[in-house]
Amino acid sequence: MAGERSFIAILIKRLLLGGFAAVVLLILTRFVFHFPPVFQAMFVLYAGLGTVTFILLDAPAVSPFGGVKALVALVVFYAVLAGTFIAGANFLPQYDPMVEKGKIDKIVKPKLAATDKGKMDALLKRSVELNAQSQAIMKRLEALGGADKLKAAEGDKGGGGDAPKAAAGDLIGLGKEQYDLQECYNCHKIGGKGSVKKRGPTMDNIGNLMKPEEMKEKITNPRSWMAEGFEKEYNKKQMPDKYKELMTDQEIDVLVAYLASLKDASVETPKPIKK
Amino acid sequence: MEHIRNHRSVYAYAALFLVLVFAVAMPVGLAWAEDAPAGAATEYRDIPGMGSRNLIWIVAQQHLLLAGFVLGVPIFAWVCEIVGVRTGDQRYDKLAKEFTKLLTSSYATTALFGGILLFLLIGLYPKLMNYLSDVFFPSFLVYCALFLLETATLYLYWYGWDSMQGSKKGLHLFLGFLLNVFAFFIMIVPNSWATFQASPVVIAEGSMWARAWAATWNPTWWPVNIHRLIANVVLGGYICGAYAGLKYLMAQNAEERVHYDWMGYVGNFIGVFGLLPLPFAGYWLMREIYQYNQQMGITLMGGFLSWLFILQAMLIGILFVGSNYYFWLGIMHRIPGSEARYRRPILAMLVILLVCLGVWMTPHSLVASLEEARKMGGTHHPLLGVFGVMSAKMTVSNLMILVTFMSFIMYWRAGKEETARWAKVAKAGQGVLLGIAVVVVVVLGVWGYFVPAITRINYFSTTQVLVVLFVLLTVTPLTGLLMKSARTTTEMVWGVMPGRAGYVLVLNAVMVILLMTLMGYARSSSRVHWHVYGVMQDTSQYAYSPALGYAAAIMALNTFLFCLLVAFIFWVASMGGEKKGGPTDTAHTKAKDAASPAVGSAPAASTGHQ
Repeated sequence: MAGERSFIAILIKRLLLGGFAAVVLLILTRFVFHFPPVFQAMFVLYAGLGTVTFILLDAPAVSPFGGVKALVALVVFYAVLAGTFIAGANFLPQYDPMVEKGKIDKIVKPKLAATDKGKMDALLKRSVELNAQSQAIMKRLEALGGADKLKAAEGDKGGGGDAPKAAAGDLIGLGKEQYDLQECYNCHKIGGKGSVKKRGPTMDNIGNLMKPEEMKEKITNPRSWMAEGFEKEYNKKQMPDKYKELMTDQEIDVLVAYLASLKDASVETPKPIKK
Repeated sequence: MEHIRNHRSVYAYAALFLVLVFAVAMPVGLAWAEDAPAGAATEYRDIPGMGSRNLIWIVAQQHLLLAGFVLGVPIFAWVCEIVGVRTGDQRYDKLAKEFTKLLTSSYATTALFGGILLFLLIGLYPKLMNYLSDVFFPSFLVYCALFLLETATLYLYWYGWDSMQGSKKGLHLFLGFLLNVFAFFIMIVPNSWATFQASPVVIAEGSMWARAWAATWNPTWWPVNIHRLIANVVLGGYICGAYAGLKYLMAQNAEERVHYDWMGYVGNFIGVFGLLPLPFAGYWLMREIYQYNQQMGITLMGGFLSWLFILQAMLIGILFVGSNYYFWLGIMHRIPGSEARYRRPILAMLVILLVCLGVWMTPHSLVASLEEARKMGGTHHPLLGVFGVMSAKMTVSNLMILVTFMSFIMYWRAGKEETARWAKVAKAGQGVLLGIAVVVVVVLGVWGYFVPAITRINYFSTTQVLVVLFVLLTVTPLTGLLMKSARTTTEMVWGVMPGRAGYVLVLNAVMVILLMTLMGYARSSSRVHWHVYGVMQDTSQYAYSPALGYAAAIMALNTFLFCLLVAFIFWVASMGGEKKGGPTDTAHTKAKDAASPAVGSAPAASTGHQ
């Protein structure tokens, strides 16, 4: 009984202490430092965690459970832990998988289309579409008067297909996209952004130093050119030789177009040396 | 009647077995190939409803956790056996044997999950497996050979335990050493496959052995090897602690309470000592990742996975608080008269831990409303943003390690008085060393804001780590020497810890398992839409990374399943022991009175800290 009384005194004392700390932290975070609400709550939670931990140090022991009760207590304990963990993870800002899906579509789909499987898939899809279209036309013609008109209609069509759509793309924009997608910035800097560790040369003035065909040669065969001052990196074959397989000709062309547009002479760009 | 009951139980087990087989086989049976044109190879198969990725995620995680347990326990057991031999305290030998007994059943379960994982990978991801087999086939052979050696050594180690006592103990210890050597190689071989996926290197032309070796020696291989080795010790220690905690809660008599209280202490101690260097190994791994591919590092620490590290900080923070709390409870309850003496230092340590946790959990950039962002002058808060960078995080993680180490030293010294003549000088030296370490860690942490990142990463952070390691490696043996000649002023009483001590041990184990599942998600997601980073793209419908909230639910499920598996393994292993007289058969204690809490003798109490 005496032990219980003393614990109640401890409990009150520590709750007051913890409450005081929480209030002080709340005032500081809210009115002095102007922290966002999530951090105001976090700091109060730290005070709460500390208070509970310190109270539990002196809490009297409760009588232990046995049998099914013990099992239930354990499962409930785990459920509380797992629930807090899952709630905490959901409380944090969520990454949207759609962002990555979009990026994957941009990178993976053209590659897939270029494979045998992709080509066969595209043919199958196209044949299904054409079949549906022809059936629709047949129905319509039947409604208009039959096969004679069909022949006439075929004659009128003249065998022409869809006119190719004009490729109206911003080449440099597409090249910049390739630069990002292939993660060239890992090793090269443009506009001060990119590689921290010395791996590859800065690209800001590369448009004045290399011709487009030379750039293409370097991308497809990294051993063909070396940047001045990068002998060590060249000898260590730092630049991967995977782009020839990884990128289509069109993708390399737009990347080269983007690189050729980089002509900022104020930024020191290492001179390319033919090997 | 007995006969009928036996039959009934056989039927019940048979039914349970069939249900399990059905549960495993059903999704696999439903798997179908993604439509592949005639003649083209199937690249992926899917499991309707559940999804192939989720199934692989769960099975792979179970296999990895079990593997961690199976590789951690032999280290744990072998260390205990050595301590038993060196100190002559039979409790350690029996504890080591009790845990080695688990190995036979857990080893089989791990191999079973490994087999399931392999079949599922071959069936669901044939394109990837074909590629990896092409690169790594020679190491598959090495892996098989290692398995044979490990299995043979395990059998000799376990079945030879009783017959290799006395003069043959040295041979038994050597077998334990071999067991751990083979286990280490069993761990690092598959690590090479997984790390190659994350950090592939250019594979030189040559023989298949040369190609496999080149792929094996990739930039993240050794950091992952070391990180996993330490993490396995931590997992083994904390699971031992959780097992002891549960048994302590269920103990029927004082003798059992004494034994499992002591076992819980040993488990927590080994877990904590593994935990202390773990952040260093993690730091090394991250550093290598950044050096290998900056984009991957950014994806992890500053990109879409960065919030994952806030969750990691929360788990590690709670693990640190939980481990310290267990030490503090030990001081308050096992060493009578210490309550008042240590309350203030405990409060100070608790506050430091919470402040460090607060800094560690602060992200670099904030997701704030427009109004909040305006008020703060941007997405980076002028004060919070300062805590969000690596310099601050490295500083607080080092401080948390030092505080935990202090807790342990405090526990070790409680109830004892040093008698050595040089004790005062040694204690003063330790105090100065700790003080200097704290100052160096903080100064370098602050200075880190004013130097280029590369200087901070290569010199400042490394120095912080080395200083803390130096403290750990000098203060521990020095305290050990002091304690050897120390006089016990208050006997350590085992078996009097409150029930919440058992729950704390379970909490610590759950935190470690959740952490391992979280890091598995991080490593896998850091490859984004690549099976082999930069080499083989994931073109399946599951190429994207799942959101953190969804992933957390799978992690919690994996943790629960693993706990069930471990409980099953413990239950199976305990069956043999019960026949011989129950768990108390091994519960050797130094209790003077079985009906009352045991009072540990001075040597027993002191050896408990070695």
